[in-house]
Amino acid sequence: MSNSLGAARQRQQSSPWLWPLIWGALLLISVVAMASAEPLFRWIEPDARQVIYGRADFYVLLGRHLLVVGIAALVTIIIGVLAGIAVTRERGGDFLPLVGQLASLGQTFPPVAVLALAVPVLGFGTLPIIVALMLYGLLPIVRNTLTGLQEVDPDIKTAAHAMGMTAVQTLRQVELPLAAPIILAGIRTSVTINIATAALGATVGASNLGDPIISGIVNGNMAYVIQGALTIALLALTVDSLFEVLQRQLRSRLSTS
Amino acid sequence: MSLLDALPTPRLRWGRLHPNIVLVSLSLIMLAAFWLLDVVSMAPNRIVLGTGHSALEAFGWPGALLATLLIATVGIFACQPSQRHYRALLATIVLLMALMPVGLIASSYLLIDPELPQARLGLGAAYWVVLFVLLLCLIEIRLRLNLTRLWPTLLLSGVALLWWLCATFWLDSLALVQEFKARDQQFVRAIGQHIRLVGIAVSISVVMGLSLAMLMRRYERLQKGAFAVLNFLQTIPSLALFGLLLAPLAWLAANVPFLDRIGVSGIGTTPALIALVAYSLLPMVRNTYTALEEVSPDTLEAAKGMGMRAGQRFWQVRLPLALPVLLEGVRITTVQAIGLTAVAALIGAGGLGTFIFQGLGQAAMDMVLLGALPILMLALMVDAGLGALAEALRPGGIR
Repeated sequence: MSNSLGAARQRQQSSPWLWPLIWGALLLISVVAMASAEPLFRWIEPDARQVIYGRADFYVLLGRHLLVVGIAALVTIIIGVLAGIAVTRERGGDFLPLVGQLASLGQTFPPVAVLALAVPVLGFGTLPIIVALMLYGLLPIVRNTLTGLQEVDPDIKTAAHAMGMTAVQTLRQVELPLAAPIILAGIRTSVTINIATAALGATVGASNLGDPIISGIVNGNMAYVIQGALTIALLALTVDSLFEVLQRQLRSRLSTS
Repeated sequence: MSLLDALPTPRLRWGRLHPNIVLVSLSLIMLAAFWLLDVVSMAPNRIVLGTGHSALEAFGWPGALLATLLIATVGIFACQPSQRHYRALLATIVLLMALMPVGLIASSYLLIDPELPQARLGLGAAYWVVLFVLLLCLIEIRLRLNLTRLWPTLLLSGVALLWWLCATFWLDSLALVQEFKARDQQFVRAIGQHIRLVGIAVSISVVMGLSLAMLMRRYERLQKGAFAVLNFLQTIPSLALFGLLLAPLAWLAANVPFLDRIGVSGIGTTPALIALVAYSLLPMVRNTYTALEEVSPDTLEAAKGMGMRAGQRFWQVRLPLALPVLLEGVRITTVQAIGLTAVAALIGAGGLGTFIFQGLGQAAMDMVLLGALPILMLALMVDAGLGALAEALRPGGIR
């Protein structure tokens, strides 16, 4: 019995890493070896003077892209999860309806408009795109944190209370672990959307993987656009498949414990 | 359970008062913003950044005092909430919103030197913060009074009309108004283009989404593949999709005379529409599919028992019951398309995004605002309007 269970779990654990590895490897190849694909891009753009985007190395652009998305994600996760926890406590309950509405309002603001409104206040560069990404990515995290915490069975919370757990202990040892898969799903949606949206930052002078795309559109060079789009799509797929693995591990840990 | 219920629960209580702490804190935030941040900024011409002015300088003693009193009233009413007080709060908040442009008129008399015809007034941080917090107050009161979305939408339309009147007749020195006056025909055209692009793209994706969802329900195998393709489309940045369509469409237009004649080209409306539809399909199909699947089988069974044919069951039972969730999909799609159309300006599709990118290029922030604000308002209006419609169509209708 335990043997077959173990084998099944092993099969489950050996396969999930496959897709992140494949996408990650493709991403790495595309970043390092973009220049060697010159014949291919030359075929797409026979008349262009230059077919490989050369103003910055692709791994530098990738790093900056990851940095922007990472900072935005970190801040969003901290704010979103803390806000979700705060309004589901008894004291913050008054704020619950407003925060729920506010989070859905955040997604109504188009990122381009937020970006444009942030520039006069924050100046050109990386800061406005981080703000736009934060506002846009907040909804899925807050919404899922609220759903996750509210779906925890009240009987379980009562049991924890009856066992003598304090409110903080109940939150950390009962509610958050139970809500974790749903919260993680929200973080996954938020980050995946933001990887694509971050490309917009190139229009306000933030240097990232959107740069080749903008420069390609402006100069009418299709090869640049493809290079930028390919790298961003591969990055999104890599991160998304990583989250998939994380979610599966979390779920299997919950079901075994 | 009963034992725990008997335990005293900690709750914020001041004597006999049970204040609505949400509104009290919002009112405090407004007071702080009003007195600590710049209310307006004044710039001698278009490119120079303006200098900020505080509430006292902008409105004078009487104006600043009036605003402070009104904001404080919000907090005081919120200390002892009741149905009547919430209605009074609603009136106070609408009054505050209506007074905002009047304050601007006052500060344009106080601050603008009549000898400088180029001088312009910009809205300061305090104005934006107070406006945003007032909207939050409105949402909170709507929830407490159990109003439908229709009422706040109507009130806000009234306030917007008032702002429009003030802006056209008395606010010539406001930077936004000056930018608008310099290119009013262009602006009207851009807004028309924007709405037309969004309208066409959303109509196409509603028709395509509905047919695709119905096909998926018939052929199970299609479902997985279609969702995989649509999901993948969403990972391509909008910017890139617009760019990627340039070359193939330009080639098609050059080589297929028929397509050229009907207006297909690498730049402009065609690639914008294709990309918009591609992005709109996922939320549309996903919501349509869930909406149609979620109709309770018992209801359909009952319809069958009543002798309804398959076609009747679909049009008279399944579709009307699925309509609210389906409309939710239309709402998400439309709001998303309004934002994406702004990006389409980069490939020459026109629309309000033109002002954003031109303004960014010239470092003329008021022009950026002229593009971004209407987009934001359009998105909020569509969101509220379609949300209200979905609420009204839900079984049971307006409660």
